[in-house]
Amino acid sequence: MTDRKVADRAEHLSRRRARMLPVLAILLLVQQGSFFTDHPGADRPVDQLKISAWLVLSAVILLALWTGGSWLQPKRVRELLNDETTQVHRTQAFRVAFLASMMGCIFLYFLTMFSRVETREAIHIILTIGLSAALISFGVLERRALRDG
Amino acid sequence: MAERLANKLKERRGELGLTQAELAERVGVTRKTVNTVENGVFTPSTTLAIKLSQALGLSVEQLFWIER
Repeated sequence: MTDRKVADRAEHLSRRRARMLPVLAILLLVQQGSFFTDHPGADRPVDQLKISAWLVLSAVILLALWTGGSWLQPKRVRELLNDETTQVHRTQAFRVAFLASMMGCIFLYFLTMFSRVETREAIHIILTIGLSAALISFGVLERRALRDG
Repeated sequence: MAERLANKLKERRGELGLTQAELAERVGVTRKTVNTVENGVFTPSTTLAIKLSQALGLSVEQLFWIER
């Protein structure tokens, strides 16, 4: 692949990633919505399947955020997709996610004073808050950077 | 007092007739990175600042300076 083709491919994937990040956050939130609206105790096979799907999605998102994703792309494209600005944006997104998760923990602590919260529910809430915050933050930073100067 | 890293990337790029994409290709980053450095949104690492100045035929100090 020529340098120009690598650059064009990275540019295209970078734009697509910036568009997909908020969509992924919404998908994750919607999935949590269904967990909390029809959660009868998670003992039916369908509930176990839902929880497994959520765990797999969460793990994949976390891994993609941590490593930069685009695992199936050639090395040169991956390097461009994770150039200096992207790495800084990812670091900033993790900072936002950490803060959001900690605030989620504080919120849950106060919530348990008035209502019973299951361990599994608490994990769902904290993980969802953290991942969604990271995805949205990363997406906003990337979209802002991709605007034409 | 707030300090910011100013640059004449856009001006010099224009003088050499380079697009953001062409400059990005020369230094091995994406157009997005060149764009954010040019607009002062992103402060580049020393490595990238040196690569940019070499690609544009200027010294780092000629290309970047601190504005107070």
